[in-house]
Amino acid sequence: MFRHTPFRYATLALLAALAVLYTLNAEYFGLELVAEIAVLAILVLALDMVAGFGGMVSLCHGALMGIGAYAYALLTTAGGLTAPVGMLGAIAITAAFAWVIGAICSRSHGIYFIMATLAMGQMAYSYVFEAPIFGGDDGLSGISRLDLSLIGLDLNDGRSFAFFCLVMLGLAYGFSALVLSSGLGRSLSGVMHSEQRMRALGACVWRVKADMFGVSGGIAGLAGVLAAQHVMFVSPGLLAWTVSGEALVVVILGGLGTLVGPLVGAVAFIMLKHEISDMTSYWHLVVGLILIAVVMSGANGIFGWIESQVERWRPRRAAMTDEEIRKREVLSDA
Amino acid sequence: MLETRKLCKSFGAIDVTKSVSIKLERGERRVILGPNGAGKTTLFNQLVGELRPDSGEIHLAGEDVTALPVAARTRRGLSRSYQKNTLFDGLTVEENLSLAAAVATGHESSMWVDSLTRPDVREIVQEVANQVNLMPYLHAKVSAVSYGVRRQLEVGVALATRPLVLLMDEPTSGVGPEMSKGFHDLLNNLPRDLTLLIIEHDMDLAFDVADTITVLNYGEVVFDGEPEAARGSSLLKEIYLGSWEDA
Repeated sequence: MFRHTPFRYATLALLAALAVLYTLNAEYFGLELVAEIAVLAILVLALDMVAGFGGMVSLCHGALMGIGAYAYALLTTAGGLTAPVGMLGAIAITAAFAWVIGAICSRSHGIYFIMATLAMGQMAYSYVFEAPIFGGDDGLSGISRLDLSLIGLDLNDGRSFAFFCLVMLGLAYGFSALVLSSGLGRSLSGVMHSEQRMRALGACVWRVKADMFGVSGGIAGLAGVLAAQHVMFVSPGLLAWTVSGEALVVVILGGLGTLVGPLVGAVAFIMLKHEISDMTSYWHLVVGLILIAVVMSGANGIFGWIESQVERWRPRRAAMTDEEIRKREVLSDA
Repeated sequence: MLETRKLCKSFGAIDVTKSVSIKLERGERRVILGPNGAGKTTLFNQLVGELRPDSGEIHLAGEDVTALPVAARTRRGLSRSYQKNTLFDGLTVEENLSLAAAVATGHESSMWVDSLTRPDVREIVQEVANQVNLMPYLHAKVSAVSYGVRRQLEVGVALATRPLVLLMDEPTSGVGPEMSKGFHDLLNNLPRDLTLLIIEHDMDLAFDVADTITVLNYGEVVFDGEPEAARGSSLLKEIYLGSWEDA
């Protein structure tokens, strides 16, 4: 069940401070990295909501992100809508798609759920690839970023856009945390632990799953909107199942079912990718080895491991304080 | 309050429920007895909707619920506990009760309000925790408490849905004689207007808490009446009590 602990708040504060400091001082390439990390972080937040808190391991979140990106592109170019309306519209469209996928797949579990979502994602991928309205292999270009000149910001500037992505990430995190702490989030946790009992309690299990999948899809849609604004171009590659696979890797690397962990995972993943690809073009190999090491260690990802170390250290410190108190009492008695 | 009319169910050639008609009044406490394989749990599964009967009807508070799914029957006031613990193992005792209370108070699908902190949910959790003696364990994880406590929680979770009718499938299954006695007290302390239907192997419990007894044998109701009459019935001695007294 989702809860914020002081340690999680501290990690969030540290991540936020680092992100702001880095973005203030980064050059062009660094700012691109910030935007890339923020987009991936939003996507993996969405995935962790359903996979980590509902046991719904989805292999269609890449496709959902792609739907968000294409929806934004079409609404603002062919549709002629303004960027803010286009953003909201794209998020709503993606959430609706995700709700339907969640409702259809809610009856399957485990590997079958993974396969069902994979099939859904692949269907979306092939449709986008084939249908002329989506520009086929060439994708769609001419996408504009949100216009924030009213408050004196030009998002075509790399630093402003990086900050904009970070603010969106903060909002996405707050929203995810809010929904996971709501009645719906609690019910989802119950469904993950015992679907049979939850049903016997009178809960509508498929609705709980579909509703949360819809919320998660909306957040993935936001990631897609930002991805489209970032590169001002969308291509079918966004919907490829490997994007979903990569998101799952990041969630597991960071810590499944912790919500904070996937943020850590996104930072680690993008940083590793760029540092290692400078040295060797076989960077996937190195990331693969690290993932295997993390999984084999038995800890729940990087953040899960740190969290468990902090928890182990905590009672020991409490015991030492007790000891000290006793020593002090003995001394004062003497 | 709860009534079955000519309920039938068969698995292949085996008739596990043969034209069972029982009727429970509001506040009645009925114990279902019967040897292994008599079809007690199968009858339960049909009552709650986990199994669909081949024919016959089930009425809850005057409404035909035969075609309704499990969740819909629970929302109409039918709740069950399981013979084999079916709890949210990774969560705390309090969270287990809260999830049930959240559904009962309609907060289970709210996207903005934390169901666990709602006053009406907390009130039910406190009340049920007192009823089934779980107060000391509220913050313990289910995986960390003893089997006996889990049996209590099993009943507690069912109670936290605020049912009109509570079905209990062998609530004392697997617990020792001491604990079993504790369960008698627990059952006797439940509100008198709650209708209880209990599957039980423990004869003492059956005679202690039951207003009425139904005995099933090979899927058929072979006795339906007061506990005292059951004690004197020679038919019962033959099929059930007989083997119990010999043991």
